[in-house]
Amino acid sequence: MSRGTTAPTPPGPADPGQTGGTPLKLRLGVVSGDLALGLLCRGAAALVLLMLVALVGLLGHAALPSLRAFGADYFTSAEWRPNELTRPLRGPDGRVVVVDGERQTETLPPRFGALPVIYGTVATSLIALVFAVPLSLGAALFLVRVAPRWRAAAPVAFLIEFLAAIPSLAYGMWGAFVLVPFLGRHVEPLVFRALGDVTWLKFLFYRDNPVTGQSIRIPLEGRDMMAGGLILAIMILPIVTAVARDVLRAVPRSQIEGSLALGATWWQSSRAMLRYGRAGLFGAVMLGLARAAGETMAVTLVVGNRVEIVPSPFASIQTMASLLANQFNDPVTEVHRSALIGVALILLVISLLFNIVARSLVVGGQSRTALSD
Amino acid sequence: MSTLHDRAKRLTSAAAYAGSIACAVVIVGVLLLVLADLVRRGAGGLSWAFFAADAQGEPAGMRHAIEGTLILVALASAVGVPTGVLAGVYLSEYSKERWLATPVRFTADVLAGVPSIVVGILGYELLVVPLTGYSAWAGAAGLAFIMIPIVARTTEEMLRLVPHSYREASIALGGTKSQTILRVVLPGASGSIVTGIILALARIAGETAPLLFTILGASMITRDPSKPFPALTHQIYVWANSPDPSRRDMAFAGMLVLIAVVFAISLGIRLTVARAQRRR
Repeated sequence: MSRGTTAPTPPGPADPGQTGGTPLKLRLGVVSGDLALGLLCRGAAALVLLMLVALVGLLGHAALPSLRAFGADYFTSAEWRPNELTRPLRGPDGRVVVVDGERQTETLPPRFGALPVIYGTVATSLIALVFAVPLSLGAALFLVRVAPRWRAAAPVAFLIEFLAAIPSLAYGMWGAFVLVPFLGRHVEPLVFRALGDVTWLKFLFYRDNPVTGQSIRIPLEGRDMMAGGLILAIMILPIVTAVARDVLRAVPRSQIEGSLALGATWWQSSRAMLRYGRAGLFGAVMLGLARAAGETMAVTLVVGNRVEIVPSPFASIQTMASLLANQFNDPVTEVHRSALIGVALILLVISLLFNIVARSLVVGGQSRTALSD
Repeated sequence: MSTLHDRAKRLTSAAAYAGSIACAVVIVGVLLLVLADLVRRGAGGLSWAFFAADAQGEPAGMRHAIEGTLILVALASAVGVPTGVLAGVYLSEYSKERWLATPVRFTADVLAGVPSIVVGILGYELLVVPLTGYSAWAGAAGLAFIMIPIVARTTEEMLRLVPHSYREASIALGGTKSQTILRVVLPGASGSIVTGIILALARIAGETAPLLFTILGASMITRDPSKPFPALTHQIYVWANSPDPSRRDMAFAGMLVLIAVVFAISLGIRLTVARAQRRR
């Protein structure tokens, strides 16, 4: 590394022989100083490992009762019902059963299926990616290949990094008080007027009533999956842009200059750049996905919080994280609490996977470019 | 023919060039719009009472919540900063012990990506249920959990930037490993480590999800960390859901205070880094 320094003559590191001339007391002090710092550092490092073990172990332990009670139903059922449900008993013909002039009722036990919240998380995250990824890649290209000419790179980069540091609650409040009313009053009625009569798009605006089975209009209030996806898109824009910029910046100059020397246009050389950094760019997208899937505060305030699967972006939904924020504070029963911790465990595993893939891609991409430099 | 082809190529390129500019303009525009809305709404709720009164005052304020956040952040960093820095020192200076260093580095990266709501549930299971109930201890532990991996990885990266020759010089002069670390390596990177710690503090001060199930919130100034505790973000969340418009204004004002703190920190760091680079 530093060419000027020749290797010092031994002793090697922490050789006690070096302090041979000093009094025994000082020597002991020095040696125990090494020992103490080593122990402290190893202890802190071990604590980091312990944190992950505690996280997975405790959540797994607490989620076990509900997973055992519901089994595969926990992942396949679309019903999340913490309370018992009493409803009129219907015969095989679909009519309410009446005995001696009295309507008969049936009582269903509580049921916990995580499918609706998994669906909610996946759907909002995908909407966020659809909006955020093209914009972020374009802006990253701008920051690396256009902005330096205008001296715009530094201020834009500062703004993006500052906005990445703003608490997510701020985005949630903006979403709840600005974006949701805007969608509900202006955008969604407009979409309905334009597309409401198209037969094969009926699913966007109508849903089945869960009790009667009749088709009903979805109220277009703006508190829905679309609002959640858009707010997540805005939230992950800074992080995806920043990581993508770092990835593109790490592409060796020779790659670009080589293609330019061969007569490539700006776009052709940019495409070469994107192709070269594709692993790292995919990592940037995965980081954004992990962020979106785990985001709580921003989503809770805008998605309407209804635990059901309605395949329309204009329906109220619940994500895994928002379900926890809404229900974990006062669960109805112990089973309910255990089922909620099960959801937390799924969320944890999903975001760990995304993060591991993302980190390996981004780091891998960078070390490869470092080698070829 | 080839000229036509060339022209098409050049047109595509120009369109893509314009497209990348448009992407940046849209992103900056949207983000500035969000920021402007938040500042405008927040400025309306700021008043003397906001900083002087608690939630029960007439008019109500957020003093209890601001103090609560300061205490929570102080408690969290009392544990999080030393642990994070020591773990970072381990990762950088003891990295020859691969059997431990490699998994620890990986774990720290993974922990930095854990959703903060999950950390809140861990805090509830680990500290609220077995102990007497909601407390600042549980909240601060959750914040420390978020802080430690960030501080550890930043410290490691900053220590790696200290030239190897410094360490060699220290050892050549008879310095032991602990002397080298404490007197040469750490001081050599102290500025950037402090920067990393300040960023981590700003991050945990803005966290809400880990506090939802651990501190419960309180409406007046509390000094006892074993009781339910107020925090700025928690109070903002509660009041943002309130039907009372004056409470909502207060929530926006609280958010403006947080944003202002984050802005001051970002700007301060930016300016210091720029000045350090110019001096070099």
